[in-house]
Amino acid sequence: MIKYISKRIMFMVFVFFIMSLVMFFLYNLIPGDPARAELEPIKNTLTLEEYQRRYESLRAQMGLDDPTIVKYGKWIGGVLQGDLGNSIRYKKPVIDLVKEPMKNTIFINIFAMMLALGITIPLGIICAVKRNSLFDNSVQVGTIVGYSLPPFIIALISIFLFAVTLGWFPVSGMNTPNFKGTGLAFFVDRMYHLALPLFVMTLSSLGGMTRYVRAAMIESLRMDYIRTARAKGLREKVVIYSHAWRNALLPVITLIIGWFINIFAGSLVVEEMFSLNGMGSFYMDALRNQDYNIALAVQMFYMIVALVGNLVIDLSYGLVDPRVRVNR
Amino acid sequence: MNNETNNKKKKKSFLHLLFINMFGTGKQKLSMLEEEQMQGPIRNIVKNFKSNKISMTGLIVFILIFIGVIVGPFIFKLDLSYTETSQQNVAPGQSFLKVPKSLNGKAEQISVGPTFSIAVTDDGQLYMWGKTKISKTINLKYVPKQMGKIVRVSAGYDHILALNEEGKLFAWGSDRQRQCAIPSDVAGLTNIVDIVAGYQCSVVLTADGKSYFFGNSSNNDYLTAHPYQGQLTKVAITSDAVMGLTKDGQAVYLGSQKNSYNKVPEFKSKIIDIATTASTMAAVDDQGQVYVWGNVSERGEGRFPAFDEKITSLQGGRYHYAALTENGNVYAWGYDNYNQATVPDKVTDADIKAVYTGFYQNYAITEDGSVLPWGLKGYILGSDELGRDILNRIVNGGRMSMTIGAISVVISTFIGVIIGSLSGFFGGKVDMVLQRVVEIVSALPFLPFAMILSALLGNSLTSTQRIYLMMVVLGVLQWPSLSRLVRAQVLAAREMEFVTAAKAVGIKSMTIVFKHILPNVISVIIVSATLDFATCMLIEATLSYLGFGVPAPQPTWGNMLYGSNNSIVIQNFWWRWVFTSIILGICVICINLTGDGLRDAIDPKSQER
Repeated sequence: MIKYISKRIMFMVFVFFIMSLVMFFLYNLIPGDPARAELEPIKNTLTLEEYQRRYESLRAQMGLDDPTIVKYGKWIGGVLQGDLGNSIRYKKPVIDLVKEPMKNTIFINIFAMMLALGITIPLGIICAVKRNSLFDNSVQVGTIVGYSLPPFIIALISIFLFAVTLGWFPVSGMNTPNFKGTGLAFFVDRMYHLALPLFVMTLSSLGGMTRYVRAAMIESLRMDYIRTARAKGLREKVVIYSHAWRNALLPVITLIIGWFINIFAGSLVVEEMFSLNGMGSFYMDALRNQDYNIALAVQMFYMIVALVGNLVIDLSYGLVDPRVRVNR
Repeated sequence: MNNETNNKKKKKSFLHLLFINMFGTGKQKLSMLEEEQMQGPIRNIVKNFKSNKISMTGLIVFILIFIGVIVGPFIFKLDLSYTETSQQNVAPGQSFLKVPKSLNGKAEQISVGPTFSIAVTDDGQLYMWGKTKISKTINLKYVPKQMGKIVRVSAGYDHILALNEEGKLFAWGSDRQRQCAIPSDVAGLTNIVDIVAGYQCSVVLTADGKSYFFGNSSNNDYLTAHPYQGQLTKVAITSDAVMGLTKDGQAVYLGSQKNSYNKVPEFKSKIIDIATTASTMAAVDDQGQVYVWGNVSERGEGRFPAFDEKITSLQGGRYHYAALTENGNVYAWGYDNYNQATVPDKVTDADIKAVYTGFYQNYAITEDGSVLPWGLKGYILGSDELGRDILNRIVNGGRMSMTIGAISVVISTFIGVIIGSLSGFFGGKVDMVLQRVVEIVSALPFLPFAMILSALLGNSLTSTQRIYLMMVVLGVLQWPSLSRLVRAQVLAAREMEFVTAAKAVGIKSMTIVFKHILPNVISVIIVSATLDFATCMLIEATLSYLGFGVPAPQPTWGNMLYGSNNSIVIQNFWWRWVFTSIILGICVICINLTGDGLRDAIDPKSQER
């Protein structure tokens, strides 16, 4: 087991370096001269020679004349020490800027995930147990509709219905402007603003998850041990929730962890639409303003989350189902 | 058996038979043994699929949409550079030319605005039709009260002027440039004979030949003390300039700037009528000769036909002219995108007394007083923020969205099948290396990665190149799931007897993989490709919606929704997002239904018997 994990971690590190190299080279393809941009505001106060001298020293200082591989070495060295570089737009270290959005994203996603799981797991189980009934068929059609509609359409419709027409919820934002309350009042205000985004995120993840839970449950209900359990005369509830559900848990765990990975990437659209200050809109702002140090840092963060998530999925197989031997 | 013959004897209605043939229900059910003996796998799949009503409906709807977006662009031509400020955010409907029936026989004068028309009858009544809503608060149908008997009306860009029989002037509509604020010197006039409403401005002409101007004077070139005060009999307005017709038959420019409007051609004789489009001026002399000058564009304002009759009056639309001859015939020329310059037969056949033209609509009044309209009827699905027809963009955008989806799927299927089958068949080191590659690609978070590629590479590309970039990015990032699927299938097929037999005969490995094993797993590939097609369309739409996909003006279903993310658009201009969302949603749902149905049909295990 330890051998397997260390092998996987080695692989992860390898992939991370390859990807960071690729991303860094891509980023360096963009034309632009940060040194010139830095000097632009004070250009008029300097003489030509002075400007030229300062420009050259700045270029040397920023390492702009180095070959890309040297630049990459410097950058990755900084990253490994927790220095993600500075934002061009805010003139601040990326690491300080990223904290607040990350907190918000995690906050929102944990709520959305709890809501979604709370609905989909019971729904999937009921559908699997009563499969091919009218209820199941209508849920099936509903889930196809659910996962076929992109989140932004669901968001547009719900903004139109609940925010603009009915006026129940605010259209965007995370808090009432100039909100001064603390503690519970602050929390209530935030939840009031987050209600609509949470609704959209939950709704857009219902379809796929319900189908997944249902499929896993049907698979395990078809097994021989279920027939055995029924033949023994166990109550149906025990058969379903103790015997079948436990065995259906394996793919569901994959789903939950997979979803956890997508937490950071998947809420891009919703954060953007409701102008929430999360990782998604932070990332998109950086891309739009060509603040590539931030974009690169966030991208690397997404990569790490995905790689770690994949490892955790594989390891969780072994924990949930001892029959699965991961160290093939 | 007896039972079956009884059933057959029952007479079936045509509709029932049609339904049976379409969906394949009602056919006699075979027992499993019979079925497997009698039918080959493909027929079995087709039969299974046909019996699934939901999937069949999905497939049919998808095929209809597909035909629509493939054939549609030949009917709805796409002009990427087209923008039209006068047609922004028009609500859906085709009411532009819906002349009220009661107006027939009574119409005295008609004036045409961008999306609405107003008419005055011989007894001073006003009639208005078309889309009169200018903004959330301004609606032109709220006419001022107690105006008395109206004798003349003029519709401008977003306001209307009306003159009653006592010579009193009324104005309503948008007043942002004070085009409706009648100045005191104008309000005191009692001898007004003509009124002209233009783009953010109004001009009044008095019986003694003087012109008065109010509204936006920085956009419209007008000199208050122009040398022709006291000599004018008619004025006409382009979108930024004013021209006049003097009593002695001269076309004159009433502004102060030197521009192409000043280049009035030499006339051989006296001018009897003038007209303007958005950027050109025209005049006709008493010999029937037409002259057009100004910023004559490619749209064809200057390309008038040869007339064999004398022209008595001239009318200008947005980019076209209509002329009436002494014999009551109508000619039109210029921009013809909405058939506004194509005179219909009913007008050619009738005796026409007068023609009224403005923007994209024309109205001809016959000798017996009935009104014959032609030109732009309106937009079935409304128009967007640049005045483009949404139906047109949905049809053309659909073709683009589907092309991108299809090509990405082809790319990803190609990569996925090759990698999956090689990895599965050869195993060992090849499998190890390929599986690591698969892991790397599938570890990439899709949306952020596609966005950063689009942002980094896209800036230096043209819009067509970005479309190709989109296809490649989607294709190159989509294949891992398919390759895993194919690998698993190939792994299973590898152990079968026919492969052993092929190996024994000495067939090359490559031939075994791609000629013997692959046809056996093709069904899985088809299902996966179908579902991937839907996914690719969705991702393209999401990226374009966020502004990282296909750039405007090239329409796709995703980027048509770009910019609709604010409460003003969501509520007031709902047609800009509702129709596109519906068609995108329906299309993806149908593809997914089809894919699901196919999977059920192919894999009988998933279909609970």
